[in-house]
Amino acid sequence: MSTTTATPPYELLGAHDLRVDLGGTTILQDVSLSIGPGERVAIVGPNGAGKTTLMRALSGAVPATSGEVILCTEPIQNLSRETIARSIAVVGSDITLPFATRVDELVALGRIPHGRGPAGPSDHDRERANAAIERVGATHLQHRDVRTLSAGERQLAAIALGLAQETPILALDEPTAHLDLRHRMEIADLLTSLAGDETIMKTKRTIVAIFHELDIVRDGFSRVILVSNGTIAADGTPSEVLTAERISAAWGIPLERAARL
Amino acid sequence: MRTQRSISVTLVALIVVAIGAIGFGVANIAPLDVLAIMGKSLFGLPVGSHISAGSTSIVMEIRLPRILAAIAVGAALATSGAAFQSLLRNPLADPYVLGTSSGAALGAAIAFLLPLTGIAWELGGVQLAAFVGALASVALVWRIAGIGSGEERIASVLLVGYAVASLLAAALSLVMLASGANLRAIFGFLLGGLDGVTWPRLAAAAVPIALATVLLARRGRALAAFLLGDEAATHLGIDVRRERRIAVALATLATASAVALAGLVGFVGLVVPHLARLAVGSDPRAVLPLSAVGGALLLLLADTVARTIGVPVGVITALIGAPFLLWLLHRARAGYAL
Repeated sequence: MSTTTATPPYELLGAHDLRVDLGGTTILQDVSLSIGPGERVAIVGPNGAGKTTLMRALSGAVPATSGEVILCTEPIQNLSRETIARSIAVVGSDITLPFATRVDELVALGRIPHGRGPAGPSDHDRERANAAIERVGATHLQHRDVRTLSAGERQLAAIALGLAQETPILALDEPTAHLDLRHRMEIADLLTSLAGDETIMKTKRTIVAIFHELDIVRDGFSRVILVSNGTIAADGTPSEVLTAERISAAWGIPLERAARL
Repeated sequence: MRTQRSISVTLVALIVVAIGAIGFGVANIAPLDVLAIMGKSLFGLPVGSHISAGSTSIVMEIRLPRILAAIAVGAALATSGAAFQSLLRNPLADPYVLGTSSGAALGAAIAFLLPLTGIAWELGGVQLAAFVGALASVALVWRIAGIGSGEERIASVLLVGYAVASLLAAALSLVMLASGANLRAIFGFLLGGLDGVTWPRLAAAAVPIALATVLLARRGRALAAFLLGDEAATHLGIDVRRERRIAVALATLATASAVALAGLVGFVGLVVPHLARLAVGSDPRAVLPLSAVGGALLLLLADTVARTIGVPVGVITALIGAPFLLWLLHRARAGYAL
């Protein structure tokens, strides 16, 4: 941890001396970070560095072995699963469905943490789901079967699913994986614009996303966390973090080639 | 809206068909007389004084328990099938996917070989053995596949279910080879049927069926999240391990009770949930209740045909179900993909 950004007004999402062991192997250790409301944070790092595990730990999907995770100023272990789901939406890198499901039906599943009882999505839920679909510009896909969508369209549906959860934090695991150049740019622009939205907590939406494309990170994110070997190697602005030396060390590539990335 | 309308329409159809089916048979009884008999016998209403004691006895002692059994079994199988399909994210899953059918069949076959007579037979020794066999096989699959441990994989749950079912089927073959004169009775159980359902047997099975089916049909919220996979379900606020245990337990209780009452009735639990999805989409919160009503309706229709032409109901459901499944697969090219 060499560089830090200005201290946020309060801790929306944080980790303190976090360590995560899975199946007897230490995946993450000595992880400390603090993310405030309205921040746009990219997580980068080589395959197997622990980026996804970090996101899973920050969203309570895996327990901390030691240290703690803070969500909306509370230690995450004190929060119920439903409260967590109303605070942080996690958009996975791929959606596969066992049955024919329309995009609006899929996105309505994002309302599950706000629902009660056995009944299906209410009119209000459908309305919020359709608003989320509209927000990502996918209204024309509303009635399509999710399984017939292209990779780019499916990613839009996945982001709408996360938006329908109406959480102050939107976390995305490789939202640009498998996408071509144009769709990558569209998703990156969408994330930038989503970060400006006001959420139900009357703050700007916080976005945390894992990326492999450093150009997207440099263009659209004010803060980058570099994860390498299960710990945070650097945390700061793109120009501070994504230096040739750090890229070379983290990804194990020659310095002269790293300098061109 | 669409969901509520579909459920209401199916429910009305079920009630109409049920009243018609009670009157339908070798001794035909008009629907109004059926209502009069039930009104008089069940609620003591001063109606139907012109109706013979014979008709009353046919309706109350023979047809009504059988029709209620068809409704209960159909609802249980279709709801469990829908739950297993969502839970295991597999359109081929049916209520027997965890070995329920083989366990029940083996239990029943063993019971046929035991010298059960008199009171034990009347109380349903075979049914009890089938129930215990079904629960035991699921318990075995549960234990081996580690259901609810958080470590289980869907493919391994399906494979363990298949392996346990195969093992029990082999044991069943051995029992059948050794069964001699009882072979026909065992075979009858395997085909599934509602002949000889009595009030006591119905009551014993209907209580767990009703309880498990209603509770299961109310777990749609968690099952909806399961459509997206365990990880995504967790992120939607669902306690995946707990909800999976509850759903498997309820679906197993419903299926085991249904099998104890009616033997191995196939295809209802596989086909009805897909029909329901055609009508209301894939959200289990809509699919589960509609499957319950639709399964009841389908099995009631099938059983009415079965008792008219004198074959086991399982033969009829397979005769309707298999071509329907093929039609659904054919349709897959035109829109609803299975």
